[in-house]
Amino acid sequence: MEGLVVKLPSFPFLSPNISSSSSSSTFRLGFRRFSASISAAVNEGFVSLGQLTRPDFPILHQEVNGSKLVYLDNAATSQKPTAVLKSLQNYYEAYNSNVHRGIHYLSAKATDEYELARKKVAAFINASDSAEIVFTRNATEAINLVAYSWGLSNLKPRDEIILTIAEHHSAIVPWQIVAQKTGAILKFVSLDENEVPDVEKLREMISTSTKLVVVHHVSNVLGSVLPIEDIVIWAHAVGAKVLVDACQSVPHMVVDVQGLDADFLVASSHKMCGPTGIGFLFGKSNLLLTMPPFLGGGEMISDVFLDHSTYAEPPSRFEAGTPAIGEAIGLGAAIDYLSGIGMQKIHDYEMELANYLYEKLCSVPNIRIYGPKPSDDIHRAALCSFNIENIHPTDIATFLDQQHGVAIRSGHHCAQPLHRRLGVNASARASLHFYNTEEDVDNFIQSLNDTVSFFNSFK
Amino acid sequence: MASYSKFPICFHLSKPFLSPSKPSKFSFFHNTSISFQNIPTKSPPPLQSSSSSSTQLQPIEELPPKLQEIIKLFQSVEEPKAKYEQLMFYGKNLNPLDTQFKTKENKVEGCVSQVWVRAYLDKDKNVVYQADSDSVLTKGLAALLVNGLSGRPVQEVLRVSPDFAVLLGLQQSLTPSRNNGFLNMLKLMQRKALELLIEAEKGSESSGNGQIVNDNSENTSLDSKVDENSGAVASSQNGSEENSSGLGSRGMRIKEKLERELSPIELEVEDVSYQHAGHAGVRGSDGETHFNLRIVSKEFEGKSLVKRHRLVYSLLDEELQSGLHALSIVAKTPSEVEAK
Repeated sequence: MEGLVVKLPSFPFLSPNISSSSSSSTFRLGFRRFSASISAAVNEGFVSLGQLTRPDFPILHQEVNGSKLVYLDNAATSQKPTAVLKSLQNYYEAYNSNVHRGIHYLSAKATDEYELARKKVAAFINASDSAEIVFTRNATEAINLVAYSWGLSNLKPRDEIILTIAEHHSAIVPWQIVAQKTGAILKFVSLDENEVPDVEKLREMISTSTKLVVVHHVSNVLGSVLPIEDIVIWAHAVGAKVLVDACQSVPHMVVDVQGLDADFLVASSHKMCGPTGIGFLFGKSNLLLTMPPFLGGGEMISDVFLDHSTYAEPPSRFEAGTPAIGEAIGLGAAIDYLSGIGMQKIHDYEMELANYLYEKLCSVPNIRIYGPKPSDDIHRAALCSFNIENIHPTDIATFLDQQHGVAIRSGHHCAQPLHRRLGVNASARASLHFYNTEEDVDNFIQSLNDTVSFFNSFK
Repeated sequence: MASYSKFPICFHLSKPFLSPSKPSKFSFFHNTSISFQNIPTKSPPPLQSSSSSSTQLQPIEELPPKLQEIIKLFQSVEEPKAKYEQLMFYGKNLNPLDTQFKTKENKVEGCVSQVWVRAYLDKDKNVVYQADSDSVLTKGLAALLVNGLSGRPVQEVLRVSPDFAVLLGLQQSLTPSRNNGFLNMLKLMQRKALELLIEAEKGSESSGNGQIVNDNSENTSLDSKVDENSGAVASSQNGSEENSSGLGSRGMRIKEKLERELSPIELEVEDVSYQHAGHAGVRGSDGETHFNLRIVSKEFEGKSLVKRHRLVYSLLDEELQSGLHALSIVAKTPSEVEAK
């Protein structure tokens, strides 16, 4: 079928001299007419967002093991559009230089672009000030930063930290370490009958002993979404802080930290079409100001003497050493790309895809999909973790890859406690992003059915 | 070609156990025909395979005969799907592995699925393997190794280079990452073979203790009948007893062996099986499954903590094969204890 194919441009006209993050309208202005034509194309049903954007992702156009690649492992990492690849290349070709200290032209340019990327991140999640964005290596490092810096200086024996059993290991392990050092106690919220963390229980668990609530926004296994605004209200009522793991939400929907009123929020660039090696921590200014450094070294200091040093203001205080400059700029480019499409548009499309995936998966015999059933009240992310009776998920993933070029993941997805609670060692997981299409889902289901018959015929 | 640099390191274990009278048996480590590109070897140049491929695979003739057959079979099956069917066929025909052998020590690291491998020596001192997995494809790979390597002399098994996996044409066996279950399975099987051999060597020096595990496997069924009796013995103890009459038969064997091998100045063997009575691993064993050991011995001098623990584990390997589930070990040297 032919339709409009509007190629999304890279955005060369973005002025580097944007002063404040609230002037998002300034750099969004140019995008509006592009978004309009995309909206038109998509709304008229000519072509889906997935079909429209696929050409921007060179990696998707290849064959693996003799079949066309069908990439359904986006919860593990996303693919990068040409715009991001170009920005990385351009950085190293045109203005690579160390930031913050140099006087010369290249260094000034690199610093400008790096700080601009910080502003883009702030605007993307609606932080009030770009100084509330600390660049880290990834979300895991960001959580560790909060744990070691905020946690060690604020937690006392018998203080409580509330988490859910569905948290990613990166949101559990640093707190286990810090709890051991400080004498704080970890409490875990289990799942309710919809296979979602029991929000009512969580509310009950919050008490005056609670100092921190650590929750994911969207679960990378269950596909469920937690009501962060409510959780924050309950936590703040007792003076507790909230750390939101937004790794699976920031890439797929509008996330507004001021709207959520979250104290800390973390995300990784590589899950949102940006390069690996960079992520960020959002922290409210008043919190970051009170936090001691995490890693020590250059960049995070003010003055250094032999017997002591004084530290810089946040965010620099938490960014020791030469940062991943090119990668931060690449993340900025990814944000430009995503904003060009519009996160709401991406979210709406992925909701449709999520429902389609779930429906189709349900048709596979003897399948058990984890997480809630989608309904009007309950929205699922565009991912499904599942098991099929009598077939090991590793066998499924292997066969899908070898025989059909379909890439899914099998294992515990860095959520062992959750899998233990679900009573399984491992599960298979297919996760989508806006550049996937219904055809991808159809392909997956067909291949899955073939896989199932293959293994069943052997019993 | 993939590098398997980790491969020979696990054999450093063997150094302390080399009996000086038999250097030649282990000299194959230096005259090995295993070819690894990236390790500077002081050995003679590796054998060139007759095909002039740049990958220098171990010549197929060096592999155990059954493994050669299996490789040839896989090579004759061209279609990938059919290869999988063949693999699964092997897996299906694998002898089941008794639950009591599904222990941590028998588990293959780095597999997304669960894989266990058990090894023992038969009366001719050849190594015999058993394995199981919850994933059908992994079970097939395990079966392939079990069929290919069982019943062969330990040295032959140790010489097998994982390169042969290329010849099978099964792609998932090839990546050298730590998550390569196939590679790890082979490594575990080779490590167990070596440990068995060392144990057998040691055993044949001091009379009567190089028990071939064949006898043990018959004994374990006997032991489980005696379950109630020794279970009662185990539960009647209440914790730390230096009084040896508090230990059951396994506890006594452990004590004797450690006394003989390590000449400790302090030795405590405590049966804490009752604390683990609910565990799945305990059922079907003779009730003596978990011990706390405290050993102070000169033998530990100069050894890292890991090496000390390995030493104790290797000495108690037979017990571990026949129902001993876990040891908690405190291993100190006399000087460390005095320093307090």
